[in-house]
Amino acid sequence: MKKKLSLLERMAAVPHIVWIALFIVGPMLFVLYFAFTDKNNQFSFSNIGQLGNYSHIFLLSVLFALIATAVCLLIGYPLAYFMARSKPSTQRILMILLMLPMWVSLLIRTYSLLVLLDNGGLINSLLKAMGRKEPLKIIGTGFAVVLGMIYDFLPYMVLPIYTSISKLDNRYLEAAADLGCTPVGTIFRVVLPLTVPGILSGVTMVFVPSISTFYISQKLGGGKMELIGDTIERQFKQATANAYHVGAALSLVMMILILISTLIMNKISDGDEGGVLV
Amino acid sequence: MNQDVLIKLSGITKAFDGETVLDNMDLEIHDKEFVTLLGPSGCGKTTTLRIIGGFETPDAGDVFFDGERINDVPAYKRQVNTVFQRYALFPHLNVYDNVAFGLRLSHVPKAEIETRVKEMLEMTGLRGFEARKPSTLSGGQQQRVAIARALVNQPRVLLLDEPLGALDLKLRKDMQNELKRIQHATGITFIYVTHDQEEALSMSDTVVVMSRGKIQQIGTPTDIYNEPVNAFVADFIGESNILDGIMIADKQAKFAGQTFVCVDGGFEPNEPVDIVIRPEDVDVVPVEKGMLAGKVSSVTFKGDYYEIIVDIRGFKWMIETSDYVAPETTIGLSIDPDAIHVMKKSEYSGMFGDYSTFSEEMDHLSDPDAGQGAEEAAE
Repeated sequence: MKKKLSLLERMAAVPHIVWIALFIVGPMLFVLYFAFTDKNNQFSFSNIGQLGNYSHIFLLSVLFALIATAVCLLIGYPLAYFMARSKPSTQRILMILLMLPMWVSLLIRTYSLLVLLDNGGLINSLLKAMGRKEPLKIIGTGFAVVLGMIYDFLPYMVLPIYTSISKLDNRYLEAAADLGCTPVGTIFRVVLPLTVPGILSGVTMVFVPSISTFYISQKLGGGKMELIGDTIERQFKQATANAYHVGAALSLVMMILILISTLIMNKISDGDEGGVLV
Repeated sequence: MNQDVLIKLSGITKAFDGETVLDNMDLEIHDKEFVTLLGPSGCGKTTTLRIIGGFETPDAGDVFFDGERINDVPAYKRQVNTVFQRYALFPHLNVYDNVAFGLRLSHVPKAEIETRVKEMLEMTGLRGFEARKPSTLSGGQQQRVAIARALVNQPRVLLLDEPLGALDLKLRKDMQNELKRIQHATGITFIYVTHDQEEALSMSDTVVVMSRGKIQQIGTPTDIYNEPVNAFVADFIGESNILDGIMIADKQAKFAGQTFVCVDGGFEPNEPVDIVIRPEDVDVVPVEKGMLAGKVSSVTFKGDYYEIIVDIRGFKWMIETSDYVAPETTIGLSIDPDAIHVMKKSEYSGMFGDYSTFSEEMDHLSDPDAGQGAEEAAE
């Protein structure tokens, strides 16, 4: 049923279109422009050519984001399953507990983790009290950075999976049991495959902010763990004529990386019945 | 029919949120039998099926399978398979994988799975649909996949929960024959749940009529139709004229202001009873030859017969006749002794009125509980 929209109805979309054009499409065109020009504003591939110097940073970012996403999935799926299958009252309490950290700004959450893990932090104070002389060095390791990502982004994994498990029709579980499937078998043969759309949403929502973060790596990496987000930030902060163009090229690559991962996710979910990517 | 009892329910009681759905129910189901649980919605028939399948646990009472108590046996360990009401086919698997699901779980060798699945798809007319996803199939095809998925496991008992409810009339008739044929060919015990009395009568060996969590009557389709035990069964199965009457003596029933010769006996002298007379058992005769006389208030052409409503002393009878009679004429009616069925009074007596408010549209809505509610409201 396609009805022609009235002028007024079409007008309703104008503010949003203007917004997108000014603050999303426009800046992206600038990124594209800077990425392919040199400091004299001449067309050039030199920025792209320099990207090779940053390949190890790209690799580290992808690796960290992948680990964080995988761990979030491993922790998040069972949690979401438990939540979705428990009593409504338990569900509400768990949901509040899950959402509670999100009422606090990401920066403050990351800081709190710093306080916890620092050399003079809570964990090390405890260890010291227990007789350990040297503080356990956590801040400044990859472990701390990945931990920060998991800590900050876990709710984004749990929520979409929780939604798709609770929407799952109980009849499928009964049908599986009827055909001789044990409860554990049912999870792997029926629940998991039918909640793939939720998993894909969760994976996207954790992977994308993880790969582009700069704050977590700066605070918890102790300046030693440079991820692609940090590199880009540094390029723009330097504000030398050339760094701007290199930063734009790096941003472009990251956008392409995210685009590719989203396309892969869409491809997987297309194979499923009614798979939708949020 | 084999007389071995395969499933036995004894004293089953089940309540949901304090509302009793099954009330101290006893039922025996024999091996290789086609049993239908028949009743209006809310009568407890689906709950009975789910208790046998292992999806509900009874609050009280025991479930026996082949002599063994199975109350605590989970669904996945029971030797029964179910065809679910809306099929519940796995949407992520194609037809072949749906059907093969149970066999793979019981570690049947791959080659055997293939033969058995192919065989089953052949039998249900689904050859060539192996790679299709359920969502691309029509209702009838999905129905057949659901049957194939359950039957391929060669269960001792197949539970069918209103399996034809979502199909149109023509397809439903075809599938009824199909199911009957499959049951015959496989010798598997079928327990079939429906609210459609015609379906129950045409398919079953045994019909279990249920209402308000209790079994009203168990019998062959002919028994149930010809010898209903109470007003509920008489009303639910087919069309009936249910009248208040008095058994003056054995084989003498008084109703509609007349005394009739009948074939029933064994009542107290002058015991109040319910009288059932089926519309097709009443003959239209000239007034002077009739046992009763009444005025025709409406005539409906039904194809192979006319359905007429006749007013006899204020009570509207439904009569089926092959000869046309004009509305507003007075006709005589004749009833054979064996067409008069006498029933004991029950909690359902007087719940079903005459055909004065009868209309085709309302027929399928007729629900004794709703009737009772209206009656209570009127009081």
